Amino acid sequence: MVELQNVSVTYSSGVDALNNVSLKINDGDFAFVVGSSGAGKSTMIKLLLKEIDATSGVVTVNGYNLNKLKKRKIPEFRRTLGFVFQDFRLIPSMTVYENIAFVLRVIDAPVKYIRKRVPYVISLVGLHAKTNSYPDELSGGEKQRVAIARALVNDPQLIIADEPTGNIDPELSYEIVELLKGINDQGTTILMVTHEHDLVRHFGGRIINITDGEIVFDEVISGVTDEPLPEEELAHTMAEAAGAQPQAPAAAPAQLTSTEDALIDEVIAALTGADQGGAE
Amino acid sequence: MKISGFKYLANQGVENIWKNKMMAFATFCVLLISLLLVGSSVLFYLNMNSMILGLGNQNEIAIYLDPNTSQADVDTFGYKLKEMDNINTVDYISKEQAYQTMQNQISRGKAIFDYIDGYDFMPDGFNATVVNNDTIEDTVAQIAKMEHVESVSSMPQVAEFLRELRRVVSIIAGAIIIALAAVSMIMISNTTKASVFARREEIQIMKYVGATNSFIRMPFFVEGMVTGFFAGAGAFFITWAVYRSVYRILTEQGMLMRAFGIGSIIPFDNIRLYVAFAYLLAGALIGALGSVVSTRRHLDV
Repeated sequence: MVELQNVSVTYSSGVDALNNVSLKINDGDFAFVVGSSGAGKSTMIKLLLKEIDATSGVVTVNGYNLNKLKKRKIPEFRRTLGFVFQDFRLIPSMTVYENIAFVLRVIDAPVKYIRKRVPYVISLVGLHAKTNSYPDELSGGEKQRVAIARALVNDPQLIIADEPTGNIDPELSYEIVELLKGINDQGTTILMVTHEHDLVRHFGGRIINITDGEIVFDEVISGVTDEPLPEEELAHTMAEAAGAQPQAPAAAPAQLTSTEDALIDEVIAALTGADQGGAE
Repeated sequence: MKISGFKYLANQGVENIWKNKMMAFATFCVLLISLLLVGSSVLFYLNMNSMILGLGNQNEIAIYLDPNTSQADVDTFGYKLKEMDNINTVDYISKEQAYQTMQNQISRGKAIFDYIDGYDFMPDGFNATVVNNDTIEDTVAQIAKMEHVESVSSMPQVAEFLRELRRVVSIIAGAIIIALAAVSMIMISNTTKASVFARREEIQIMKYVGATNSFIRMPFFVEGMVTGFFAGAGAFFITWAVYRSVYRILTEQGMLMRAFGIGSIIPFDNIRLYVAFAYLLAGALIGALGSVVSTRRHLDV
């Protein structure tokens, strides 16, 4: 669970990055955070990672009050989270297996468990054949899947994905979000920051728009397509690998009327503005 | 942490040397050069000190006894002299030897001494060298108070000169060693910083996934320690080879040995273990601490 109560962040330069923001994301939710460059998305991520402290207000993540969290407790807190970054942030000197296993090493997990859990998670993201490859040997999409597997391996309560599709081909972006959706279906809360409106429009769900450090929109919208994407097959494979019953594609949202469709386009265009730039 | 965790981190440290072999090699070279610079300075100082002490040992005390002292008392005196703390060697100079020496030292001595009957007028004497030249004056004063002693002489100005020389050498050598150690620390610090900087992202990633500072530092500690240990071993073998060659060349020069106390150069075999221990310990410690300290600024994520 993520809760921000009247949170403001002012940098030492005097810039107000967040201004009296209140937000609650319940366990099991999937939320997109959108906004233009400099809107405050990155600041929010930094707050949630306890990289920076709020100037005022209360930040609670997974039951930890980050305002009161002592420095030595930060590693313990971060172990309840999973992160997926735009630039993947894989350790280049480690193989796919080692990168993922590292998270379990950090929590001093038994070797037997690591040997069982890591191949399982690798199979969930469909990278079994790349287990012993190094990050340099992988494509952008594969790297991001490794990053997702790493975020997933210690079964976190919350995964924060900061522009996870920013460095990969557009067609692979859907695959990545499908993967995150699949993880969300298993009960993990997902907070995904993105500036790609097509993705937001396609998948729908809860959308939080930050503009000039304030939340200007926080609503649930429907996805605009009910056509199953080829990537959805991957989600089925993933569910099968997890031993779960393959899930039927989510009930298609009611067919949108042309008026509704136009309205959503308008909302998303308004939310994301003309921002087509890179991540903050 | 479990034993398997320690094992993993230690393995990571060793593996990192290979994975980051260029930076590890740079660290190794800098550590090796630094250890050699400081180590050879220390050895040079120790040998200079030993040589000065050696020269001091050649500074003799001449003791003359009352000519009427019986042979038994002379023998007892010689025994007591040898037992003194600061006395190193004792040479007995009999009346007859003293007489012969004097005859030889004076021109036309034989003609002069022909007029003198016998040599009983000459005193028995001793030439003694000391262990510590710095306290030779105290030793002379002690001997002067002993029974049957007619006179004692030494050359305190030699002792004073050598003491002063040793002081100056100590100050200069100390300053050089401190300067070299400081330069070495800066070099090592910069190299380890560069090595860690190249992996700062790796450290940040580790922080994001919840690794504690000690968990992150441990492989760096092992990596630095192993690199430093090998640098220490390298410095030891180089020192050994160079030292033995220099020692052999110098000790073959008999005149130099006598004139400059080169005979007092410390044979490497006498200090081999100390040198090895000092190099390995210093290498491992500096390597390990250098790496760990350099990680600090990247850990605040």
